[in-house]
Amino acid sequence: MAVRAQFENSNEVGVFATLTNSYALVAIGGSENFYSVFEAELADVIPVVHTTIAGTRIIGRLTAGNRKGLLLPTSTTDQELQHLRNSLPDSVKIQRIEERLSALGNVICCNDHVALVHPDIERETEELVADVLGVEVFRQTIAENVLTGSYCALSNQGGIVHPQTSIKDQDELSSLLQVPLVAGSVNRGSAVVGAGMVVNDWMAVTGLDTTATELSVIESVFRLGEGQAPSNVQSTLKDSLVESFY
Amino acid sequence: MAAPPPPSNPVAQTDDLLKRPLYAFDIPRELLKSLVVKGSGQDIAPISEPTESTEPTEDERFKEPDPTSGMSCTLCGVKGKTVQEQRSHARSDVHRFNMKRKIRKEPPVSEMEFEKMIEALDESISGSESSSTEDEQSSDPLATLLRKKATIKAAEEVVEGSPRKPRTPIIWMSSPMLPESTYVGVYRALLPDSTEESEVTQILPTLQTQTTTALPTASDPHIFLCMIGGGHFAGMVVSLIPKVVKRSGVVEREAVVLAHKTFHRYTTRRKQGGSQSANDNSKGTAHSAGSSLRRYNEAALTADIRELLENWREMLDSSSLLFIRATGTSNRKTLFGGDNPVIRSADKRIRGFPFTTRRATQSELMRCFVEITRLKVSKIDETAITTPAATPSPAPIPKAPAAKPKPSKEETLKLQHTTTLNTLLRRSKAPAIITYLNSNKLPFTYHLTPANHHTPTLLHLAASQSHPTIVLALLTKAPDGNKEPADPTVQNSAGKTSYDLAGDRATREIFRVARQELGEDRFDWESLGVGSPISRKEYDEATEREKTAKDAGEKERRDKETARLRNMPDTSSGSSAAGKGGKSLAEVLGTNAATTAREGETKGLSEEAKKRLERERRARAAEERMKRLSGK
Repeated sequence: MAVRAQFENSNEVGVFATLTNSYALVAIGGSENFYSVFEAELADVIPVVHTTIAGTRIIGRLTAGNRKGLLLPTSTTDQELQHLRNSLPDSVKIQRIEERLSALGNVICCNDHVALVHPDIERETEELVADVLGVEVFRQTIAENVLTGSYCALSNQGGIVHPQTSIKDQDELSSLLQVPLVAGSVNRGSAVVGAGMVVNDWMAVTGLDTTATELSVIESVFRLGEGQAPSNVQSTLKDSLVESFY
Repeated sequence: MAAPPPPSNPVAQTDDLLKRPLYAFDIPRELLKSLVVKGSGQDIAPISEPTESTEPTEDERFKEPDPTSGMSCTLCGVKGKTVQEQRSHARSDVHRFNMKRKIRKEPPVSEMEFEKMIEALDESISGSESSSTEDEQSSDPLATLLRKKATIKAAEEVVEGSPRKPRTPIIWMSSPMLPESTYVGVYRALLPDSTEESEVTQILPTLQTQTTTALPTASDPHIFLCMIGGGHFAGMVVSLIPKVVKRSGVVEREAVVLAHKTFHRYTTRRKQGGSQSANDNSKGTAHSAGSSLRRYNEAALTADIRELLENWREMLDSSSLLFIRATGTSNRKTLFGGDNPVIRSADKRIRGFPFTTRRATQSELMRCFVEITRLKVSKIDETAITTPAATPSPAPIPKAPAAKPKPSKEETLKLQHTTTLNTLLRRSKAPAIITYLNSNKLPFTYHLTPANHHTPTLLHLAASQSHPTIVLALLTKAPDGNKEPADPTVQNSAGKTSYDLAGDRATREIFRVARQELGEDRFDWESLGVGSPISRKEYDEATEREKTAKDAGEKERRDKETARLRNMPDTSSGSSAAGKGGKSLAEVLGTNAATTAREGETKGLSEEAKKRLERERRARAAEERMKRLSGK
C-alpha cells in the first residue's frame, strides 16, 4: 500500500518521518494531517510516535532505525530520548551515537538485515550500527554519492536507489543487500529517494507530488500492491521508468 | 634576433646562459623554446590501467542481468563467486580504501598495491617515535593510510597535475640547455591569473619584450609597484623593456623607471606602534599633541597618495600588473578608497609581493622589481627529494641500543666477585681474599670484570695499590686444590706486568720474596725485572729497618713541630687578650687529629660494628669522667 502525503506543504516525507517494521516516528507539525496518514494505516499494528529530535522536526534525516533498534544523534535531548524510550516497544534498542556526521538518516540506509553507510563514518559508529540494528554494515556510495541514506530507500522486500545509479552498481548493491533494487525517483523526478519517502514492509508514504508511474514502480519494487513482483518492473514498466530521462 | 648558436659546445653555452641574470621578459629564445615545466616530463604511469567505461551500451542495459555479475566489485575489479565472498570483500580495507579514492576521483588500487602501501606505512611508522600513531595504526591501518596519503599527496602533486595542487609562488622549469638538476623558476605572480603550471611554457613567450635602445615611452608595457606601511609610501612605474647600457665594455640591462614617488609622514605612535587611527578606534580619541599630529598626518598622507595615483591614472590603467603591498584596512582604504579610486581592490591585475619586503622606499621597490622579474636559478638534487623516506629510517637504529643489554647471570656473578675482592683488597685483608677465592673456587689468576685495561688481574691491582701481603699471598698461598698461583707474567694492555705496577719498594721487594719461595724455575723472574731472591726473614728485617728509620724520622719531625707549637701560644695569647674561650692551635690540631684517627679506625667497618665501637668509646669516656670525679 503506497500512499501520498505532505508535511506542511513539503513533499519530503522522509525528512519528517521515520518508518520501520516495529515503529514510526512522525514530526510534530502544525496540523495532524500528516500524522493521521500514518495513524490510519498503522495505528493498530505499530506505535506511531510524535517526537522532535534536538528540538527540530527533521527527525527522518537525523535518525536511522529498523525493527530492532533506533539510532539517535548526539544532539538528541535527554527528554526526547526518555520520551522515545517510553513510547517504543521494549524490544527496540535505542542508542544515542556520538558521530561527526550527525544526520544519521542521511548517512545510514538500512533494512532489518543490512545497512549501507557513508564511507567516512567512524569505526565505533559502524560497530554500534551493527550491534544496535543487528545488521551487516557496508560502507558504500550510491551513484557516486556518499549520502547513502538520502539516495536509497530500503525495505526487506526491495529498494529504490538514485535514478542515475548504473546497472552494474545496482546489480552489485542488490547482491550485497540481497533484495531487488531499481533506480527511480519520487516526488515528480526528485533524485533524493531516501528523503522523499518512507517505507517498511507493508506501506510506503511518498510526497504528494509523486507521479503515478513513480508510485507504481515503488509499489512493485517494495511489493506493496497485490501481484506486483519486482520482475514486472524489469519487464513491463521498463520503458516508462524515469531513469531513461537522465 | 640572432641566429641560433651552433650546438657544438653546449657546456659553454649553458655557462653563458647562467652567467648573467635572466630577465623574465627577455629570456634567450633558444632557452625559452626548450623550457619544460619541472615534473611534467616524468609523469609516472597511472597506478592501475584505466577502468573500462562503466556506461553500459543500450544493449547491455536491457539485457537480463547476468546472475554472477552482481557478485563482482566493479570498483576494485574483484570477482566474487558467492554472496559471502562479495560481502567480505565489501567489508575489506582495500574496498574501503578504493571507495575513498573513488570519492577523491583517484584511480582504484589493486589488492597487491594496497598491501604494499600498508607495508610502506608500517616501515615509516616504526620510524617515527610517536607511540600514539602506532596505536592508531594497529587499530585502523586504513585510517592511518588515508591520513598518510593526504600528506603524501602534497609531494605527488607536482607529478600528478591534479587540480588540488598547492600553488607555489615559483614555477620551476628545466631545459636540456641547462646543466643537469638545474632549474629556472619564474614567479607565478608575473603570469596572468589562474595560469596552470603546465601552461607556463606557452604563456612565457607571449610575455617577452624586445630590448631596444630607443627612448622609453609611457606606451611601453610596464608594471606598477607600490608599498604602504607605517607612514611610508613608495610607488613606482617600471617599464618592462629594459634599457641596454654599455658599461666598461659589458652590455647591461637597466630597468627603466617611468615614474616614482615616495612619501613619508609621521603617523605611527612612537614606542607603542600602530597607527593613530587604530588607537583612536580601539581606545577612543586621544587628546595629546602627538595624537593630533599623527591624525593630521594620516589624513595628509592619504590625500597625497590619492592625488599621486590620480596623476598616474593613465599609466596605472595601462599597467599590465599592479604589485601592491598594503596590509591592514587603513592602508588598503588609502589605496582603494575614495570617490573614484584609481585602483579597485577587485582588479585582476593586482598581485602581492611573493616574498618579504622591507620598509617602503624606492630602493626597496627597485630590489623587489629585480627580484620579481629575474629568473631564479636553483640546483635541486632530485635523488634527495625522491627519497625522503630515507631520512627518518635511521631513527630506529639508535633506539635499539638505548635499552641496555641485561647482563647475563654469569656476568652479574663475576661483577659481584670483583666488587667483593676490591673491597677486601682495599682493606688489605690478605687471608680474607685467599679464603674468598678458595671458597668461590676462583683461580688466583682471576681476571677482573668489567675488564680493566690497567689492572686486568687481581695481582696487578694489589701491586698497583701497594699491598705487599696480598701480592705475596696471591703468589705463594695457592693451596693444593687451587693448583695455579697468580701469574706475575700477565701483562696489561699497556704491556706492563704486575711487578712494573708495584707502587713502592716494599711491594717490589715482596716479589723477590716470592721468587725465593716459588723457586727460580717457576717463572722467568729475570725478564720480569724482579731483583735477586731474598728470604722472608730478610724482607721482614729490611721492612723493619725501614720502618724504624721512618718512625725515627717521624718522631724527630713531630718533636720539632710540638716544640715550635709550644712556643707559639705566647705570641698568640699576647696578641689576643680575651683569648680565654678560644682553643689553642695545638688543641684544635690535637682534636682534629683525634677525630681523623677515630674516623680512620671506623673506616671499612660495617655499620653495626661502627655503632658498637662508638658505644664502647662513649662508655670508656663516661668511666673516665667518673674516675676523675671520684678522684677529686
